[in-house]
Amino acid sequence: MNHTPPSSKHSIPSLAKSAPPLLLLAILALIPLATPGPNTIRLLFVSLVWVTASVAWNILGGFAGQVSFGFAVFYGLGAYTTAMSLNAGIDRLTSLVLAAIVAIIASLLIGLPTFRLRGPYFAIATIGVSEAVRVVMTNLSFTGGASGYRIAEKGAFNQHLHFYMALGLAAAAVAISILVRYSKFGLALIAIHEDEDAASDLGVNPYGTKLLAHALAAALTAAAGGVYAGYSAFVHPSGVFGFDISVAILLMPIIGGVGTIWGPVIGAVVYGLVQEELIASFPQFHLLLYGALLILIILFEPGGVLGLLHRSFHYLRARRRIAVHS
Amino acid sequence: MNIVDLLNLLVAAVLLAGVYAAMSVGMTIIYGVLKIVNLAHAGFLMLGAYFVYELYNRLHIDPLLGVVLAFPVFFCIGVALHWLLIRRIPRSDQPTLSSLLLLFGLWLVLQNLGYLIWGNSDRAILTHRTFSTFQIGPIIFPTIRLVVFAAALVSLAGLEFVLHRTWFGRTVRALMQNSDAGRIAGINVERTAQTAFGIGIAFAGTAGALLAMMYSFTPDFGGSFLLRAFVIIVLGGLESFAGVAIGALILALVETFSILIIPSGYQPAISFSLLVLALVILPNGVAGLWNKRQRWT
Repeated sequence: MNHTPPSSKHSIPSLAKSAPPLLLLAILALIPLATPGPNTIRLLFVSLVWVTASVAWNILGGFAGQVSFGFAVFYGLGAYTTAMSLNAGIDRLTSLVLAAIVAIIASLLIGLPTFRLRGPYFAIATIGVSEAVRVVMTNLSFTGGASGYRIAEKGAFNQHLHFYMALGLAAAAVAISILVRYSKFGLALIAIHEDEDAASDLGVNPYGTKLLAHALAAALTAAAGGVYAGYSAFVHPSGVFGFDISVAILLMPIIGGVGTIWGPVIGAVVYGLVQEELIASFPQFHLLLYGALLILIILFEPGGVLGLLHRSFHYLRARRRIAVHS
Repeated sequence: MNIVDLLNLLVAAVLLAGVYAAMSVGMTIIYGVLKIVNLAHAGFLMLGAYFVYELYNRLHIDPLLGVVLAFPVFFCIGVALHWLLIRRIPRSDQPTLSSLLLLFGLWLVLQNLGYLIWGNSDRAILTHRTFSTFQIGPIIFPTIRLVVFAAALVSLAGLEFVLHRTWFGRTVRALMQNSDAGRIAGINVERTAQTAFGIGIAFAGTAGALLAMMYSFTPDFGGSFLLRAFVIIVLGGLESFAGVAIGALILALVETFSILIIPSGYQPAISFSLLVLALVILPNGVAGLWNKRQRWT
């Protein structure tokens, strides 16, 4: 059989296509030089942390279609591991790597029993895991239990350093997401999403592939949690392990456009900005809103914001074509 | 630990199992007929609790009567929701992602509506029954648990009657076994699914009302019970009503007796551990084990 060259749809995007994201990255990297207020940088920082978690979730939930309601487990484990490593005098980068390793082990512990079965088992089990882990962390004495864990800051607080760490991580997450999407591994994930039996017949090992995607997503999410912990210098079980963290990480990619590269990024930015506005005045209202939004998206526009943009773009083009012809 | 304490724990476990079974059976019906994992179950448990609470506080209606009223009210809510949302998602023989997420969204909406209306303070229904007990020999029965257990048994017996003695029950059981064959045999799948969804929600609301008589609650009330219900139906093999009873008994026994060895702070981790054990050892549930033995003999 001839080896056919990969179609343009499945190859890594060309330079022209990758220019806008790189431009965006450059603009973001230059923003601190314009000396905006610390509040603006904090907002960008939080959004970038969300982008990382959202893109990570999408690798497992979007590409492979394995919905997890428990990513707060990895986020929280990452936050705690980083906090404890920093206090032990380990440098920031190594502590993020440690956080990722802890999360990978946790992802295997969750995935090994639950990925053996199909259907809703994994999704529901993840609800249980996040609940159980939060309870254990609340009772564990060496992490400070319910009263949380504080990082002893050494040296002056440098907001720009945290911003660049979040930016670097988010860029890495998007790059990994692109690499995964256009690799054989990514095709295997999509095949599993479409039809697990058919994928298995074609030589994909669904069990191993799902485990790998879960581990990769967990590692990225843990790093996001670690960057956040380094910034806030204080972690708390009901904060970083809270169910609303899991909900947020699940909602962002779905709002933006599940299974796409840029949908999760858009979703995370939208979520980050809207949540900042809403959470202060209506602490519960934003989840109500997101629940309703989730229902509407599932029923009417499964493609999320990106799908909506796509559809309106095509609609406008069709309209213009009609106008030209008439 | 003497024999009396052990007997008391056993009684407590069996009484708990009755409520657990009533709580999980709604999820089984909906899963069996519609192949949907009803994550909004937790929201309806919570609404059931507040329904009885409001009736008791505002209109001074006895909580037991409130439980009886909850059933038709939540049945109507379920039927309406099926018409509004559930029928719009594509049907499938496997639980789909979109159904899971749709019901998750519904749960978020219900839970946070609860927070908007009732705030996050703990509520409880206190009647003259709440703290009374009576004794048979050395064994102590808390009255409220006995009452709740009896109510749960009545509702389960009612369901058993409907499923095995009525035409509707036959269509439900047929669809649970094979929906395509059911359709060929002339069952109105859409209508049956709607009624089944209504009954599932009705059981959720009623069970929430029963639980509210035993525990205090907040709008977050259903979450831990959702996981328990799921553990029970997985233990029961997802689609079997006898399995639900066995699963409920196992979970209640494990939870009650684990108090002896596991510190109470770690209790919520038990149901998850049991779920993992069930998935690894018995992927088809206890009922699967039963079916296998039947096939061998």
